[in-house]
Amino acid sequence: MMQSLDLWVQYAPLMLRGLVTTAWICALATVVGIAVGLLMAWLGSIAFAPLRWAVRTYVEIMRGLPILILLFVLYYGGPSIGLRLSAESVGVFGLGLYSAAYFAEIFRSGFQSIPQGQIEAARMAGLTGTQIIRHIKLPQMLVLITPSMVNQTIILIKESAVLSIITVAELTKNTTQFVNETYAVIQPYVAAAVLYWLLVETVARLGRFVERRVKF
Amino acid sequence: MTTKPLEPIIKIRDLTKTFGTVSALSGISLDVDPSEVVCIIGPSGSGKSTLLRCIGFLEEYTSGEVQIEGRLLGYRRTASGLVRESEKNIDAVRRNVGMVFQHFNLWPHMTVLDNVTLGPRLTKRIPTGRARGQGRHALAKVGLESFADRYPSQLSGGQQQRVGIARALAMEPHVILFDEPTSALDPQLVGEVLDTMKQLASDGITMVVVTHEMGFAAQVADRVVFMDHGQIVEKGPPVSLFNAPESPRLREFLDTWRSRNMLFQNDASVTGEGEEGGARS
Ligand SMILES: Nc1ncnc2c1ncn2[C@@H]1O[C@H](COP(=O)(O)OP(=O)(O)OP(=O)(O)O)[C@@H](O)[C@H]1O
Ligand SMILES: [Mg+2]
Repeated sequence: MMQSLDLWVQYAPLMLRGLVTTAWICALATVVGIAVGLLMAWLGSIAFAPLRWAVRTYVEIMRGLPILILLFVLYYGGPSIGLRLSAESVGVFGLGLYSAAYFAEIFRSGFQSIPQGQIEAARMAGLTGTQIIRHIKLPQMLVLITPSMVNQTIILIKESAVLSIITVAELTKNTTQFVNETYAVIQPYVAAAVLYWLLVETVARLGRFVERRVKF
Repeated sequence: MTTKPLEPIIKIRDLTKTFGTVSALSGISLDVDPSEVVCIIGPSGSGKSTLLRCIGFLEEYTSGEVQIEGRLLGYRRTASGLVRESEKNIDAVRRNVGMVFQHFNLWPHMTVLDNVTLGPRLTKRIPTGRARGQGRHALAKVGLESFADRYPSQLSGGQQQRVGIARALAMEPHVILFDEPTSALDPQLVGEVLDTMKQLASDGITMVVVTHEMGFAAQVADRVVFMDHGQIVEKGPPVSLFNAPESPRLREFLDTWRSRNMLFQNDASVTGEGEEGGARS
């Protein structure tokens, strides 16, 4: 037990650095995912078939592809088309574009959940398309989709462990280093589990807070 | 802003609407004059809702014309025929058309007052303070001023529909379209909504009302229009339409309605001689 404590104290800085890296990459990736997802849900709702197909295709590809393949393509394949990104940027955009497909589906079902009659009433009150999204659809949608969005963000956090494979010094990568340097197995993984749980729990709490705020 | 006093607010010519192979409207022509109350009756599926939705351009019509205060709705005339108008211009033409829906269609995430003020605030760029004043005024008109801060789900059906009416009123429309405004209500709540509508009629607001409430049509309408199979079969003042129907289809429709209402002993008879006075002049 004493030995465990010593190890944890010794490796706390490394593990916390990993936690911080995981946290900011996931935060930015979530922002990218939500922004792109919202854009796609909106494009997909426009009555212009080629746009809908394009969105559909994107969603299908992202859902069929293991995240690791996408990361490899961006990280190792990127330079061959002049796209030279740091491992961290690949992490942000890889995870972001990947989760965008799922966020798009969440938004799409959210938009569809607003009864047509409410939208017709808004039309008759003179609201424009964007005003209808802003004042009628989004506020009601948020209540419905917050739980799925929180869920998706938590999945994203856990998926981010694969970034260790493309050398991002995030929590899993640093945990591996902890293992390799100490030959300890239990202590590093227990620490990693606790830190991941902390991150996930924070997001879940944030989600419940937002849920209470947007309720009407 | 001088409109000729006799120009109709709504002018419909040879209007048709088909859904795929189903013909919902087949050649409707109708004028609605300022301050007139027109009630539309007819069996289910006869195209009443479709007609109203075409007047509000919630539905694109297939051929013919709808004009609102002299302006063609939804389309633009070009050398090669009618072309779909932009959303912005459509909004401009129907700005003075309000609508009240069978299922109220209130926005559940907003208070009653916000439901009523959202349209004026966003489309007429009225400052929030003044919009709220006007909103309260509209709510007072339907007797719900004290409910301003409630949410729609905290109101009865009849109260919700009156909010729907206040929401339409707040836009200061020149005509309000009602699609079966009392059909979704429990019988004991129908009266309060009809009373509100009678009040609007006596205020001189132009109204087009699709309804199954024959007593209301008889009392309040200046003209009643009977539709069947997407056509106007008969139209005229309520007294002649209800007391001396010419077409067999209207006679049959009224007979069915009467025999159904025989079950209720206290129904108001459809004669146009209700104690609250007949059609307005
Ligand atoms: N969106 C639609 N798609 C296909 N057909 C439709 C649509 N809306 C209406 N119709 C058809 O058009 C016809 C007229 O319908 P409409 O709803 O206007 O009738 P209505 O007179 O309002 O009937 P009700 O009294 O039952 O409300 C019906 O045959 C209906 O099935
Ligand atoms: Mg109908």
